[in-house]
Parts: sequence; C-alpha cells; structure tokens
Amino acid sequence: MIYLEEALRVLFANKIRTLLTITGLIIGVGAVIAIQVLGASMATSVNGALGSLADDSFILAPSQVQGDFRKAAVKIADIATILQTVPNVVQGLPAGGRSLLVSHEHNQARLFLSADSDRPFNQSPLRYGRKFTPDDVAAATNVCVITDRAYKRLFPKGGDPTGQSLYAGLHRYVIIGTLAPPKQGLLNAQFGGDVTIPYTTYTDQYIHDGIAGAARFVVNDPSTMSATEIAVMNAIKHLHGNPKGVQYQTFDKAQFTQGINQIFNVLTIIVALIGAVSLLVAGIGVMNIMLVSVTERTREIGVRKAIGARRSQVLAQFFIEALLLCGLGCAIGMLIGLGIGSFVNHTAIVKLNGTVPPLPWVEAVVTTGIFMIVVTLAFGTYPAFRAASLDPIEALRYE
Amino acid sequence: MNNDTVIDVRDVTKTYRNGSLEVRALDGVSFTIARGEYVAIMGPSGSGKSTLMNVLGCLDRATTGTYSLDGADVSGLDDNALAEIRLKKLGFIFQGFNLLARTDAIKNVALPLFYAGVPAKARNAAAAEQLAEVGLGDRGHHKPNELSGGQQQRVAIARALVNNPAVLLADEPTGNLDSKTSVDILALFESLNVRGRTIIVVTHDAEVASHARRILRVRDGLIVSDGPPQRRGEAELPA
Repeated sequence: MIYLEEALRVLFANKIRTLLTITGLIIGVGAVIAIQVLGASMATSVNGALGSLADDSFILAPSQVQGDFRKAAVKIADIATILQTVPNVVQGLPAGGRSLLVSHEHNQARLFLSADSDRPFNQSPLRYGRKFTPDDVAAATNVCVITDRAYKRLFPKGGDPTGQSLYAGLHRYVIIGTLAPPKQGLLNAQFGGDVTIPYTTYTDQYIHDGIAGAARFVVNDPSTMSATEIAVMNAIKHLHGNPKGVQYQTFDKAQFTQGINQIFNVLTIIVALIGAVSLLVAGIGVMNIMLVSVTERTREIGVRKAIGARRSQVLAQFFIEALLLCGLGCAIGMLIGLGIGSFVNHTAIVKLNGTVPPLPWVEAVVTTGIFMIVVTLAFGTYPAFRAASLDPIEALRYE
Repeated sequence: MNNDTVIDVRDVTKTYRNGSLEVRALDGVSFTIARGEYVAIMGPSGSGKSTLMNVLGCLDRATTGTYSLDGADVSGLDDNALAEIRLKKLGFIFQGFNLLARTDAIKNVALPLFYAGVPAKARNAAAAEQLAEVGLGDRGHHKPNELSGGQQQRVAIARALVNNPAVLLADEPTGNLDSKTSVDILALFESLNVRGRTIIVVTHDAEVASHARRILRVRDGLIVSDGPPQRRGEAELPA
C-alpha cells in the first residue's frame, strides 16, 4: 500500500505539526473514552447493588412535598385494609426503621434496625443460618437477621453467630441468620436495615401510635406492579378521606433501575456533546493542516498528475493521509482514555465495588472507530478533493 | 499518416480567455514528428512554446484542430483519459527534476508503474533496471537530497522512461544544471535517441537545441522555422 507508506512518510517528516494537529483528537477521544469506561464501571456497581433488591415489593410513602406529613402518614390499620381490599397485594408491613445502639458483648455499633418478613426486601444470599419463616412472623419472635456490615462490627473475631444474642435498644434478639457480603454494592445499605426483625415484632415493640409512616407491600404478580401501585395509592387516599394537598409515592426496583438509567442517559448525552464539540474542533484542525499540506505540495501534485496519476489516485492519497492522521490521534486518545479509566477503576471504583470492573474494550474501539471515520469523512474529504481537482499546468507552475 | 508518425498536429489553435480579453497562444500549428526523431522546440517566452508543450504533453487540450499521439486522436479526451495517455505514452522530464523528497530513487522511478497498477515486486525490479540504464544502478536507495543535480535528473529520466513511453518530453532539462553536467545529460539523451527513443526537448537555449536533429522555432503562436540545427559556431538567428 504505497499511499499508506507515503502518508506515513509525510506525517513523520512533520512530526511536530502532526502531533499538534492530532492533539485535539487525542484530548477529545481520550475524554470520551475515559467517561465511557467510568460509565460502564458505575453501571456494573449499581446493577450489582440493585441485584439484591427484591423485585416483588414496592414501598408506599407520603410525598416529601406536602403540608401535613402526619395526616398523610401510613397507619398500621391502612396496611391491613389495603391487604384485604387491593388485589395482587399479598403482604403489607411497615417500612422504615430505627437507628439504635446495638451491642454484642463489648462490641457496640450504631446500626439501623428495620422490619422484614419471610419475603425479604434484601435478597442477598446467606452466609450463616437462615432467613425468616412465616412462623417467625406469625409468632412475632425476638429473632433477627443481620447484614455483613453489622456482623463485621459486632463480631470482629468472626465465627458463626447463629444462636447468639444481641441487644438493640431495650430488646434482646437471637441471631438466626447472617447475610453474605455484597459482591458488588454501591447502594446496598439503603435497601433495608443492618439488623432486621420480623415485622410483627417490630410493630409490637416500636409502633405504639398505630402510625407506620411508610409501608412495604409484596405483590403476587410483579408484572402488574405499576397497576397495583396505583390501586394502592388510590386506596390510601380514599382511606384518609382524600384530603387536599396529600400525595403519595411508590418506589420499586424497576423505578430505581429506570432512575439510574436516566442518570446514565444524561451522562451519555453529556459525553455525546463533549464528543461532538471535540470532534468539531479537532476536525477543523485536521482540515486546516490538510489544506496547508495540499497547498505546500501543489507542485508535487502537478508532477504526479503529469506522470499520469488519475483524479481518484490523487484523491485516495490525500484521503488516506487524513485517515492516518485521524486514526493516529484517535488511537492515542483511546489508549489514554482507557489508561485514565483503568486508573480510576483501580483506585476509586474498586472501593465501591470490591472488584475492578473489566475495561469495555469493544465499546471503546467502536467509539474510536466512529470518531475516526466521521472526522476523516467530514474534514478530510474537501482537502483531498481540492488536491484531486488541481489543474496540472497551474500546479506545475506553482512555486 | 504512416506508421512511423508518432505525433501528428494539424491546425491546432489554443485560445485563452482572460475576462473579455482573448489571447491566442497557438495560431494554427501543424507538424508531424516521426518515431525515433530528436526534436527541439525553441522560442522566446510568450511565443506559445509552453502552450505547445502542454498540448503535446496532454496536459492541456487544443481549442481547435486535431492532435494524434501514437496513432490515437487525443483531441477530445476527458481528464482521466488524458491522464491515461500521459501514463502510457508520455514521459515527462522537468527543469526542476521534481522528484518526491524523502523517497529513494527506486521508489521515485517506480511511481508511474504504481499508478499503472503494476504489483510492487515487478515495479521495483523494472525501476532498478531503468536506473541501471541511466547509469545509476548503485544509487537505487539514495534519496534525492543525497544525489547531485545531474544524478537527480538521471533519476527523473529513468522515471520518464519506466513506462516505455512513445515520446520523451523534456522541458528545459538542463536549466538547473551546470554546463558540465548539462553535457552529460544531453549525451544521455543522444544515446537514448540512438537506441530509438523519440525525444522532444523544449528549450530557449540554443546550445541545448543544437544537439537535436531538428528544431521547431515558435514565435507568436506560429511555427516560423522547421529544420536541422545550424552547424556549431555558426551565428544564431536572433530569436
């Protein structure tokens, strides 16, 4: 491929010019690829966290924005009524919890205690023991399941804690299960307490005014979750006498996923904008230098044409030179972007995730390839066309 | 036109339009050149000599008249067809050598073969052979800036010859060379001509023209004389 050989010779003959020309591309592509890598890393950690969240449950809570929060608060009686009247709802329990000083022997920690059922909200696998059974719930026993975080704080020496007791606030609970550490978990802690007790026990011990505040409902058929959520919101409004200004909202796994996807969509748009701007700036640089190159080599182009080069052959030569210039810039930019992404993965993401996410090689190469082709086509075509269109007589006369 | 005619120019005119001003650079030129001739085209600047060379070299088209090169009428051809003719039938030699910088002699000579689509191995072999023929067999891997002016012009001649053209067209081939080197280059032309090459040299230098077997003098867009050179030492006609 003599075009490539000649293009390489030209680019290496003007090393500084080449480097300056491709700097824009290096920065642009580098930034885009780095953000792409980080986006992929964040996605793995969030998906990992959401992976342990039950998809057959939703939370019902008064909206944050309203006049009288107490009037809107979900009552235990409301939960019972909804359970009886709204189809598809099979279980209802108070959501939320208490931050308490929890102790085991001389180990103490301030941990979040919450209610759960035999259909747990946090579906992380077990490390020791078992989860709640319907019997635990029916009998309102003083048992608890603890997360890995609680386990590490209360049992620094390790060992199976099943059967041992811990004190939380005024009560003593027997540990029946310990959850495994989350494999990847950025948001795990938010989806339930570190110490969970049967919701019947929780209602007996912590809810004295009949007000749960928020509730979690388990549905029979998750595919009609949205319709059930609307039915439940209508029911609770009706139960409270449809007061003005009182609003409710629901959260479920699908909504969380959607919300996070929206964040990523925004991120993608920002990346696309950065990409477009850097593409434009870098492309103008490439076009400028290619036009300079064509002008400088007018005489050479004249000689080539006199020797018998066809239009298409001159066009190909300058087009390949532009392609090589863009390819070089994009490739260096990609490597730098992957380098930055990999560095952040190893230093920051690993702390959130516990593991280093893999680099998205294929996506990076595809993005870089698209950049290269778009910039070359948009900004390399005109200079090449100009070279090909030169009149050989004029070109040979050019000094 | 018999088989030995390689160039047949009939009533060729060339008119340039510069706004409303019409300049007639060639005003009805007719001549033929036979295969194996060594012709010099002479004339002062502005005479139409360069225009004639551009038409002969298929870089430009005549406004009227016909031009046949190597048995084919090239008068009405489009740009790509003319490029094809230049590639296959013409070899150009320029005053300024016009070699590709940073490219060694063999690759410079092989360039026309590349445009003709000859595979790399074959074209490098042909280029090396051609370089040997102009006396630069040992300089194949030297770059132009490592060669003297005379050597560079030899490389350029090898490049012009590598496609085995019907006509070798040289524009002031010794204009950038000292007199001693000029003699060498002209001697090379003579030896090529002896071996059957058709050579056209465009020059304003009477000494260069005197090496040709025939001189066409151009003035005001017309051929004013056509004949063998005067013997050396004889006074030049004022051009």
